[in-house]
Amino acid sequence: MSALKPNVVIGGVLVGVVALAALVGMIWTPFNPLAVSFTARLAPPSELHWLGADEFGRDVLSRLMVAAATSARISLLTVVGALFAGTTVGLVAGYFQGWTDRILMALNNALLAFPGILLALGLLAIMGANEYGIILALGVAYSPSVARVVRGAVLSLRETDFVAASRIMDNSEIYTIVRHILPNCIAPLIVLATSMFGWALLAESALSFLGLGVPPPAATWGNMLAASRPFIAQAVWLGLFPGLCISLTLMGINLLGDALRDRLDPRMRGV
Amino acid sequence: MKRMLVTAIVVALSMFGVAQAATRVTVALTADIRSTDPGVNRDDNTDGVILNIVEGLVGYGEGGDVKPLLAKTVDVSPDGLAYTFKLRPDVRFHNGETLNSSDVIWSWNRYMDPKTGWRCLADFDGRNGLKVVSVEAPDAETVIMHIDHASAMFLDTMARTDCGMTAILNKASIKADGSWDHPIGTGPYKFVDWKRGRSVTLARFESYVSPAGAGFDGYVGLKTPHIDNIEFQVVPDPATVKLALSTKSINIAQVLSSDVKELKADPNLVVLSIPDSSKNVLLFQTKDPLLADQKLRRGIAAALDYEQLVDMAGDGLSRPNNSAVFQGSIYFDDVQREGFKTDLSEAQKLLRESSYKGQTIKLIANKRSPMPSFQVAVATQAMLQAIGVNVEIEVLEWATQLDRYNSGNYQMMSFSYSGRLDPAMSYEQFAGDKTKQLRKVWDNPKALALIDRAELVSNQDERRKIFDALHLMALNDAPLLTLYNGLTVWVHNKLISDFKPWEGKPRLWNMRVDD
Amino acid sequence: MIRFISKRLLTALPTLLIVAMLVFVMIRLIPGDPAALMLGDRTDPASLADLHRRLGLDQNIATQFVRWFGHVLRGDLGASIRTGEPVLPLVVNRFWVSAGIVVTAVALAALIAVPAGMIAAWRQNEALDVGIVSAATLLLSIPSFWLGLLLLYAFGLKLGWLPVVGYVAFSENPFAALLYIVLPVVTLVLHETGVLIRMARASTLEVLRLDYITNARAKGLSEPAILVRHAFRNAFGPTWTLIGLVFGNLFAGIAVIETVFTIPGLGRLLVDSIFGRDYPVIQGCLLFIAFTYVGTNLVVDLLYPLFDPRVTAQ
Repeated sequence: MSALKPNVVIGGVLVGVVALAALVGMIWTPFNPLAVSFTARLAPPSELHWLGADEFGRDVLSRLMVAAATSARISLLTVVGALFAGTTVGLVAGYFQGWTDRILMALNNALLAFPGILLALGLLAIMGANEYGIILALGVAYSPSVARVVRGAVLSLRETDFVAASRIMDNSEIYTIVRHILPNCIAPLIVLATSMFGWALLAESALSFLGLGVPPPAATWGNMLAASRPFIAQAVWLGLFPGLCISLTLMGINLLGDALRDRLDPRMRGV
Repeated sequence: MKRMLVTAIVVALSMFGVAQAATRVTVALTADIRSTDPGVNRDDNTDGVILNIVEGLVGYGEGGDVKPLLAKTVDVSPDGLAYTFKLRPDVRFHNGETLNSSDVIWSWNRYMDPKTGWRCLADFDGRNGLKVVSVEAPDAETVIMHIDHASAMFLDTMARTDCGMTAILNKASIKADGSWDHPIGTGPYKFVDWKRGRSVTLARFESYVSPAGAGFDGYVGLKTPHIDNIEFQVVPDPATVKLALSTKSINIAQVLSSDVKELKADPNLVVLSIPDSSKNVLLFQTKDPLLADQKLRRGIAAALDYEQLVDMAGDGLSRPNNSAVFQGSIYFDDVQREGFKTDLSEAQKLLRESSYKGQTIKLIANKRSPMPSFQVAVATQAMLQAIGVNVEIEVLEWATQLDRYNSGNYQMMSFSYSGRLDPAMSYEQFAGDKTKQLRKVWDNPKALALIDRAELVSNQDERRKIFDALHLMALNDAPLLTLYNGLTVWVHNKLISDFKPWEGKPRLWNMRVDD
Repeated sequence: MIRFISKRLLTALPTLLIVAMLVFVMIRLIPGDPAALMLGDRTDPASLADLHRRLGLDQNIATQFVRWFGHVLRGDLGASIRTGEPVLPLVVNRFWVSAGIVVTAVALAALIAVPAGMIAAWRQNEALDVGIVSAATLLLSIPSFWLGLLLLYAFGLKLGWLPVVGYVAFSENPFAALLYIVLPVVTLVLHETGVLIRMARASTLEVLRLDYITNARAKGLSEPAILVRHAFRNAFGPTWTLIGLVFGNLFAGIAVIETVFTIPGLGRLLVDSIFGRDYPVIQGCLLFIAFTYVGTNLVVDLLYPLFDPRVTAQ
């Protein structure tokens, strides 16, 4: 084992800090993140409010800490959901081909062409105003890309020797898929997954900007960033800190993702 | 300097079409207008543009009273069943034709045709109570309308902005196949062009003849157009609007109340905050098992510090008003000034006596800009927390909230009612039989009888007594908490003078611009 | 070739049908009523019934769908509830506005991102690579509504070089039109460059490890020559596929840009229609977006062999 590469260290530190902030935020925050203060409206960073206060006098640091957990949960669940659904569809479609493939891909393309904002609105209406509507909407919106990537990989793997061998050895279809095909799809999926993690953070923010994100008063980095926009001239810290949180987290995730891919991709091993 | 590029284009553009020294003003719109057909396909934003182009027989004055506009006089028969409108003789349409009674009859018949889709048809064909039996034009300057029963609301309804002021239009406004073309009205500005999704352009109507008056008076009074060209530009993002004001690419805009402090610091801009008759309210669903308890509702009412709440929600620009009668109304007197008393110990006493046992109450709000719904909800939640009432805010998108409002499906709701100048109409917005209309909030038979009465009598003193009584009943029942009247903040370039928006809508007449 | 194209178009039909049905049902399941929105808080039952009848919303969903779909088959997408405009010309008009911006932006982004990604891969794990990847990540992580506002602030207000609001169509005045789309295009380019750099870098890395590159190296070819002659053609393929995906996502995402820069495009139209529950326009927009999406991907697949010698069109 060689010594850790610098990008792994930097990535690990960035992600670790976010995870730590999220964990601490679950137990303790300097202020109640929802507590309104009539006197602290738009207060600049000070000894009392380290990162300032927002338009309702709520402590920005406390909200960022709580939001770390919410934002991470949204992105993680979105990515995991999209990976699971997309991989399943892609494997089934690519492996069985024929009509199964045609039907699944028609559905898949329909979803790809379906804008996330309408999904978000629909699911928020059905699930009530909470983060799970957003997670589901983004998950559904991202899974078709995963399905396409996996299906493509499966199609090229299907005809390889080791898959044919597995079939000849009378292994079940599912065993063949899970044992031989799935592991070879991992590398492209990791690149996609780390990208999706970032997309989810930003998509949630863009939805908030258009009026459909995770409903306030619950805090996410995305909706804090969107809500800070009218105050760009009066209180720049309102947008700066959540923006930094998103940037640094993305950088950390991407660095770790690239490192992980380099390790896992069979073609890249030993280079 | 570096602005040259932009300036060069502006100059190039202005050399194209517009004559020299023509004055031009750009006004920002937060959304595109829905159509140019008054009272047919409209929203408040649309009305704000169109009512500079068209006028009705009567219009609202500043105090919410109805005054003649295209009519010189309006006479009501002693039995209240016949209204005689004498037209002003010198009024011209934008195409040069002179207004006469046949135009009124034509416009009226068009509105009463269900195919037109006039928004206020049901208010005049008997389905909502009042019915116009017949309309006649004995001569070119006279129109007589006969209604089926005496009503104090007839002229009010005609003057309503959402009815498009029941504008009188020239026949050339519609195409040969009967479809809508563009408005040819009698207003101070004429319609020039509508680039969908982008802009609406108006031009000064040179032959405009103003109704009598000394100055601004609602939609009547002295109206003189001074600006040669006015362009409404669609700018949906409030942050962009601010930048556009600073770069002078927009001369007039409505802005968020939270931006006032920032914009006041700019020496080139003038900030106006203008209260109107819209109402920001907290609604209770009195059919809800928990909130059916009047003690709980009154406890909540006593727990709110209205000064502080309004200060936070309205960014320090508004004053509390617990009455359904707006602060500028001719009926806003000392009785109306009386409001809910903030008294925490009284609130706690009422809560103890009530059936409330710490349940979570859901408060629905929206983030539709520039409405203060969410701000009101956050402040309310904080104040109720202090006396041990748990409120959970549920933010919905506006169309969804409106759906919940119309079906009565809520516990508490932070809501804004659009402006109603007449108090009877203001009460009618939320009072009514809940079994017939689920959206109604206040269902008290005694109050409903009083409102019906106010819609019948025209005598101001008698109406004042009715409204005072209604206000005290509403404070006691607390079916909703009226918090404060809405306010629109407008910013304009320092070179513009006499820009006086009213009821949230831009009035373009009398306004001047210095070169 | 013609058979390939017609087959692809035929397989796209079910996709379009599914989109049409999904949208139709979904938008009607969402609470909210276009008639109530139009009447606001003065929704008396009589006026509401009038409006429902006029808009054809008084019938059940199945009847409404059959009627709408019948019209669609005849090329009639209906008329907007909010403005009464016919949907097809409305959508097509707005599409060209958005398309002009999106196509320019993606083309520029690809021109910047592909070489940058390749250089990063070539200098993997060196300072240049870390710099490029960090810059890409930073660009990726700034929401376009913030980036756009900052650019407006800098170039519109502080420097005064470019207009802050408004839009001029290309057909009206090409020079002025350019001035108005500079900032939205730059905003999009910056963002999409971030996305594409990572993809180009990853695919180049993969290619650089293949045998024929090793062979080329062994033959003594210079590194830039390898990069340009061999790696570029091979690495561009996957990126090209991604560009197809990016197009699809952009039409959903461009609403934000169009809001900030006051551009009357398709994204803004869709968002406004969704909030206004303008059913015919929402349906028309989505059908159209799905259609262009299918079309774009077809073009991408047809052009793929040009960039990736390993693949030939069937």
